[in-house]
Amino acid sequence: MPEVARAEYLEELANLEASALGGLDLVNIALGRTLEAVERQDVELAQVVVADDDRIDGRYLEVHQALITLLATQSPVATDLRLISSLLHVLKNIERMGDQCVNVCKVIPISGNEPPADEEMVRLILTMGRQTKTLIMQAKRAFEERDVEMAQDLVRQDDVVDNLNRDCFRLALELGDDADKREWAMTMLLAARALERTADNAVDIGEQVAFVVTGLFREFEDASHPS
Amino acid sequence: MLGAATKRSQPQEQPGGDTMAESRPTTATSTEPAATSGRPAKTIETRGVNLFYGDFQAVEEVTTTIEPNKVTALIGSSGCGKTTFLRSLNRMHELTPGARVEGTVTLDGEDIYDSRVDPVAVRRLIGMVFQQPNPFPTMSIYDNVAAGLTLNAKKISKAQKDGVVERSLRGAHLWEEVKDRLDKPGGSLSGGQQQRLCIARAIAVEPEVLLMDEPCSALDPVATLAVEDLIGELKSRYTIVIVTHNMQQAARASDVTAFFNLDATGKPGHLVETGPTQEIFTNPNKKETEDYVSGRFG
Repeated sequence: MPEVARAEYLEELANLEASALGGLDLVNIALGRTLEAVERQDVELAQVVVADDDRIDGRYLEVHQALITLLATQSPVATDLRLISSLLHVLKNIERMGDQCVNVCKVIPISGNEPPADEEMVRLILTMGRQTKTLIMQAKRAFEERDVEMAQDLVRQDDVVDNLNRDCFRLALELGDDADKREWAMTMLLAARALERTADNAVDIGEQVAFVVTGLFREFEDASHPS
Repeated sequence: MLGAATKRSQPQEQPGGDTMAESRPTTATSTEPAATSGRPAKTIETRGVNLFYGDFQAVEEVTTTIEPNKVTALIGSSGCGKTTFLRSLNRMHELTPGARVEGTVTLDGEDIYDSRVDPVAVRRLIGMVFQQPNPFPTMSIYDNVAAGLTLNAKKISKAQKDGVVERSLRGAHLWEEVKDRLDKPGGSLSGGQQQRLCIARAIAVEPEVLLMDEPCSALDPVATLAVEDLIGELKSRYTIVIVTHNMQQAARASDVTAFFNLDATGKPGHLVETGPTQEIFTNPNKKETEDYVSGRFG
């Protein structure tokens, strides 16, 4: 009898994990292009991001279906079951992060090809975006390495994004009474909100890391009961 | 005292409170309709149980508590001693020539291996359902169910016997399928029906505990699910222990799972881990258990 049974199934599960987490690389590419489109008010690049979201959705559908098949045919239990359950969550988060990039890109044509009304607001949003990219890669690494400590550190990283989001809001209030400027600021707040949610999705992935490792699910931060 | 169970039709007051002999009405006079409500069942405790076949030790140092009104599944690879352990719980192990038992097994605190205890009384209180359905093939369905009563009771009226047979067949979810052909031979039933007939025969003598040794391994999936449903209902009245090689069956049908393993061929089996089935199959404590339930080994 071979020392390790079900080698094919285990290889399939490992491949699906890599494929699911590879979705985070797709999100990071989309987010990078999104930030570039915001910085340059590049409507064409924004349209590329919107169109390319089909790749992220495709990855979601493909891996999701394969995981369901694995559940139906291999009856996974214990760590395998927790891994599959968490990958289904992670996939949903990836799909949502892709959608948030699309949300940001859809507001870019609203402000048109005009130069930004406020450079500081753009700088804050770009900083948020770069910080969110850091979170996404940290979440991926924490999952791959089953590192709960690294996953929990995502909360600290997310606080940076939350603070920048609040700064954007304050800045929008200070932009004065000019109607065009206020409209522009509103669209930028929508973009900031989308980035803030994307960072939250990265924290959610960190929570799944803790579930896979410990078998216990708990929210790192409870938004409805903040400490 | 367990040995007194053979005299249950004439319960006597004994010092030290209720005994199993006094705690319930006799089987022979029990004519109430099919009972569906729950009743408190009994607890089996084993302490330092070692089981031998001659010089060969099959099971080593099993200390565990089998909880009442729950289904406990014993899982583990072939040769790990789970069936041997099951058979020690109603003194069937000792029927094998050269077999012996060390340690204690108690049913609600009473030592079933006490020298004053009648092993036959133990086996009536702790019934067994086997892997292969084993009705008496030429005996009628009715007589198959009544067989235990005939062997155990001194006198029983036809009306009383009719009541017990109906109640037992209803309890085993078989009554509606066989009520019009009770005089047909047990061997005429399908495999799944035969196994339920064996369960009816086991519960006809009103045991406290039901031991089941891979009760579904010879059944098709539909019959398997029917027996699993039945097991789920029977636990409201009995303590149930089931040996199974089917991981999904253990996950579906049991409340508690006990994992047995052995270090190497020829070594005695031992109890690795016992816990709520939900935990054993989602987050077991021991890596050995995880590897087994995940199909990594064995």
